[in-house]
Amino acid sequence: MKDSRLEDRDTTMNDTKISARGVQVHYADNHAIKDVDVEIQDKTVTAFIGPSGCGKTTFLRCINRMNDTIDICRVNGTIEIDGEDIYDKRIDPVQLRRKVGMVFQKPNPFPKSIYDNVAYGPKIHGLARNKAELDEIVENALRRGAIWDEVKDRLDAPGTGLSGGQQQRICIARAVATEPEILLMDEPCSALDPIASGQVEELIDELRANYSVVIVTHSMQQAARVSQKTAFFHLGNLVEYGDTDEIFTNPRDKRTESYITGRIG
Amino acid sequence: MPTHWLLAIILVLAAAGYAAARARALATAGGSMRRMHSLPRAYGMTALIWTAVPALLILGAWILIQPVVLEARVAGSIPEAAASSEGQRSLIMADVRRIATGLQLAVQGGGLGWDEALALTADGGSLRTRLADLGIAVGEEPGPAALDAAQVWVQIERVGHLAMTGVVLAATAAGFALSLIRARADVNARASVERGILVLLMGTALVAILTTVGIVMSMVFETVDFFSRYSWTEFFFSTDWNPRFQGGSDLGMLPLLWGTLYISLIALIVAVPIGLFAAIYLSEYAGPKVRAVAKPLIEVLAGIPTIVYGLFALITVGPFMRDVFAQPMGLGNSSASVMTAGLVMGIMLIPFVSSLSDDIITAVPQALRDASYGLGSTQSETVRQVVLPAALPGIVGAILLAASRAIGETMIVVLGAGAAARMSVNPFEAMTTVTVKIVSQLTGDTDFNSPETLVAFALGLTLFVITLALNVLALYIVRRYREQYE
Amino acid sequence: MSDASAPRSTGASGSLMVLDARTKKRHAAERRFRYYGMGAVGLGVLLLVMLLVSILSNGLGAFRQTVFELEITLTQAQITEAEEALLKTSVYRGIIEENMREALDAAGVGDEVETARAMELLGGDAGSTLRQWAVSQRVTPVPQPDEGVTRTFDFLADGRIDGYFKGRVTMETAELDSRVSPEELQLADTLREAGVLRIELNPGFLTMPDASENQPEAAGLGVAIVGSLYMMLIVLCLALPIGVCASIYLEEFAPKNWFTDLIEVNISNLAAVPSIVYGILGLAIFINFMGLPLSAPIVGGLVLTLMTLPTIIISTRAALKSVPPSIRSAALGVGASNMQTVFHHVLPLAAPGILTGTIIGLAQALGETAPLLLIGMVAFVQDYPDAPPEGLFDPASALPVQVYNWTQRADPAFFERASGAIIVLLVFLAIMNVTAVLLRRRFERRW
Repeated sequence: MKDSRLEDRDTTMNDTKISARGVQVHYADNHAIKDVDVEIQDKTVTAFIGPSGCGKTTFLRCINRMNDTIDICRVNGTIEIDGEDIYDKRIDPVQLRRKVGMVFQKPNPFPKSIYDNVAYGPKIHGLARNKAELDEIVENALRRGAIWDEVKDRLDAPGTGLSGGQQQRICIARAVATEPEILLMDEPCSALDPIASGQVEELIDELRANYSVVIVTHSMQQAARVSQKTAFFHLGNLVEYGDTDEIFTNPRDKRTESYITGRIG
Repeated sequence: MPTHWLLAIILVLAAAGYAAARARALATAGGSMRRMHSLPRAYGMTALIWTAVPALLILGAWILIQPVVLEARVAGSIPEAAASSEGQRSLIMADVRRIATGLQLAVQGGGLGWDEALALTADGGSLRTRLADLGIAVGEEPGPAALDAAQVWVQIERVGHLAMTGVVLAATAAGFALSLIRARADVNARASVERGILVLLMGTALVAILTTVGIVMSMVFETVDFFSRYSWTEFFFSTDWNPRFQGGSDLGMLPLLWGTLYISLIALIVAVPIGLFAAIYLSEYAGPKVRAVAKPLIEVLAGIPTIVYGLFALITVGPFMRDVFAQPMGLGNSSASVMTAGLVMGIMLIPFVSSLSDDIITAVPQALRDASYGLGSTQSETVRQVVLPAALPGIVGAILLAASRAIGETMIVVLGAGAAARMSVNPFEAMTTVTVKIVSQLTGDTDFNSPETLVAFALGLTLFVITLALNVLALYIVRRYREQYE
Repeated sequence: MSDASAPRSTGASGSLMVLDARTKKRHAAERRFRYYGMGAVGLGVLLLVMLLVSILSNGLGAFRQTVFELEITLTQAQITEAEEALLKTSVYRGIIEENMREALDAAGVGDEVETARAMELLGGDAGSTLRQWAVSQRVTPVPQPDEGVTRTFDFLADGRIDGYFKGRVTMETAELDSRVSPEELQLADTLREAGVLRIELNPGFLTMPDASENQPEAAGLGVAIVGSLYMMLIVLCLALPIGVCASIYLEEFAPKNWFTDLIEVNISNLAAVPSIVYGILGLAIFINFMGLPLSAPIVGGLVLTLMTLPTIIISTRAALKSVPPSIRSAALGVGASNMQTVFHHVLPLAAPGILTGTIIGLAQALGETAPLLLIGMVAFVQDYPDAPPEGLFDPASALPVQVYNWTQRADPAFFERASGAIIVLLVFLAIMNVTAVLLRRRFERRW
């Protein structure tokens, strides 16, 4: 199954969307990310894998400056998106995060209605001129989140009342509703059951058509199923980065091989 | 035998019981601690508990109950002819009490023998001077009914005291003897001591319930009494408050309730925005250094006694409001006003609102903030559109608690709001509140037979019910809110 | 689906370096919001400062008082004569007047009118102050020759004169005042230049009992401080053991059933009952039903105990809860009973927390006023209560009630005294709270 999926993929090279050089992250005295260089391409799913605590989530949160909300976190080096250094003083994290959406590990819908959850982003960014436009944006987002059919009759119901998988797809719909160009996903399936995970994975594959998707995952199978590029992190270092099938079939580094074969992790 | 002697005897016997039981238990074990079931001191403690506790309980109960029985018996002994009305009866009872106390003092002082005291008669109007000679001041020449009743009183008290002494001493002795017999090495003394202590601990926990019962009882009886003298519809629905000492008062609580609610409303209008914004700033924006300084400073406001706020209202805020707002705007000349009391009470409530809201805002999970930031919202958008709506139930609960505080607050309104019962919308006029009237009706010389005094208990009960309802509702909402995020 | 999946391109693809108009507006809103927050915090702190400044500026004056320095010479014959008179203090006042004439002569302002006027500058208690000393100097029978005794007194000056030097009374108000005249104020100025009138520290404010309506200069906090102290003693002796025992039961032994729930709900509600309701409880139960005396510290202490209990129970339970279960397991593991575990291990470890909570509860009780009004603590009490335990049943006042009392007097000099009393109260409270904070810092344990 794995092989058949891989063959279907469009693996043509795309433009570089994100380019990180010499990124270092410190939490107080803890050196969490050590000198990471990586080029992430547009319209591709890139997976970050590695044992827990290896820094993959930390690095992901650097890409939309979510680490700004943590007082003790310091980031050095440059991360460029479309050639602009996002740690430049002139960059506004609010605008940045609109362009770089994020989906979190645990589904975190706001305690509001499904509609208001999805409409929140478009509202604050002023994407709709009137109610009709907003309705359209919400519907499109929910369709892209592959949850429209399940919730279209109860848009006023609270988002917290849905099942875990539905909540996570609402969160994805909420993230795409602001029309980002990059979508960061931090272990989006870790809190979900296998069926819900499958739905989300299918969704990720569809999202690739329009976005550059970066996904952090624990599960090597998941990385193999959904991604075209894979980066392996270990103890804060980016050990290996390349095409997913290369990494899984023919790893160059000993540590990658140990991880993939289950000796470390 | 005076009560403190009785107390001393109980304690001495208890101490003796401790030593004796301990020694006896050791002796039955042949002096070896290893052969005893429990530590030697546990046997001693058992004896101490059994000797002292039952006797002390009986003593306490007796002292509490005897006056009630006494009162009822003596009041019953006054003939119908002498006391035709309720008021007369209570006047006679007051005399009876004074005479009885006087007789007892005279006997103790040696000026009078028991038999002489019981044989005194009210012949020829010379009793008053006779009593005065003995150092008993009586307002008017007491009637024969009062003297007879006083003698009944003295007699019952004397017999009762003797009986109490006997019963208490018997209980002490019995406890002492029983516990000594039980002091054998094979008895599980530790378990019985611990049972005793557990009962004691449980008893202390009951104080909370007793307090509530006490609060309710203390107000319910007098309130019932009040409603038997004054129409309850008048009390609850009349808009006139005009107590008169000579009777015929208007005691409608609506003006008081209006003042209370008006002042509380102004206080909340001041305290809620300031307290809420301060809490938001301190929990979401302020750096650790600012927080470390500003938070305790605001909390100092909570530690300041309300009398201080009252004085602030009286000597600073009141005159300021009058000179700067009320007089130039032609709204009144009173320095005590709804506005003064409301503003100052608002200041008092700021730390209350802010620390409760702070707790509630911090309880909103970080995941929701992350979700909002991840969508590119600014911090204020996150606070206003995600954090506050999520925290809303908790904040409503906090505001209800603050409202309950405001309604029950006394000193600020006593010193800042004035005493005139008035229903007006002009906030610069003096108005009065439920608590102010409780204070004014119950301080000074009070006669517990007039509706003017008893109304304070009805007001107190109303206040208690309102604040209790607010508190229960608020605690329920806050608890539900916390469960949601746990 | 194809329509749905095509991203709409609106602005998002522009450079991130340039703020679009909407983002600028949003940031402006952000700044405004932040300023509101800062404003609220600032306002809170400002109000605190205003409150303290108002109290300090009004009250510091109470610790300084104008005194009238006068040398008095008394013969034994005068003492004997005065002690045999019916109105003793007024005779002593006459003696002061004689000495006053000499003093004014010495200061060069002596005539009949001025002497009478100068007597008006003295406080009402000058006669009794002199008498107190005179009685201690008395020798019987009167010796021959009768040499007499001499002492320099600092009599308290009249409250209006004191007010004049502190700026409360002016020539204009004196014009309208029946108790002081502009001429008296002029004389006061003269005497102040002569060094006869001085403003001195006033320890009497802390030690003297309350004084009547027209003697604000002699009013002190002595009885109130003693009364408050007695009540705190009672609260400490009752609320601490009861509170700790009840908390131990609820936290460590109580079974989970409806009755325990009832107690818990009760405690959290009692914590929020208005304090005046406790006053009604005290009046109805302790005074009317149990027959305890009005105005007595014992009743005040009992009422405040009931009020403080919920606070102490809540903080004690928190302290007990913070002792980790591992300690309990360790003690139970070596065969200690539940009771031994709690009393030997858990309680000592929770002691600092309990103590902190108790001090905070005491501080609350110390500042409480409303319930004390209802149990007769407002009464005018000039005699010190005896030593405990009998003294607990004597009439006394309390610090916060004394403040209330003074605010109800007509003479504005009492407002200064009320503010001064507040300063004393706040100093006590500050000491207690600082102690609590230090205790917490010193013994705080992180498990």
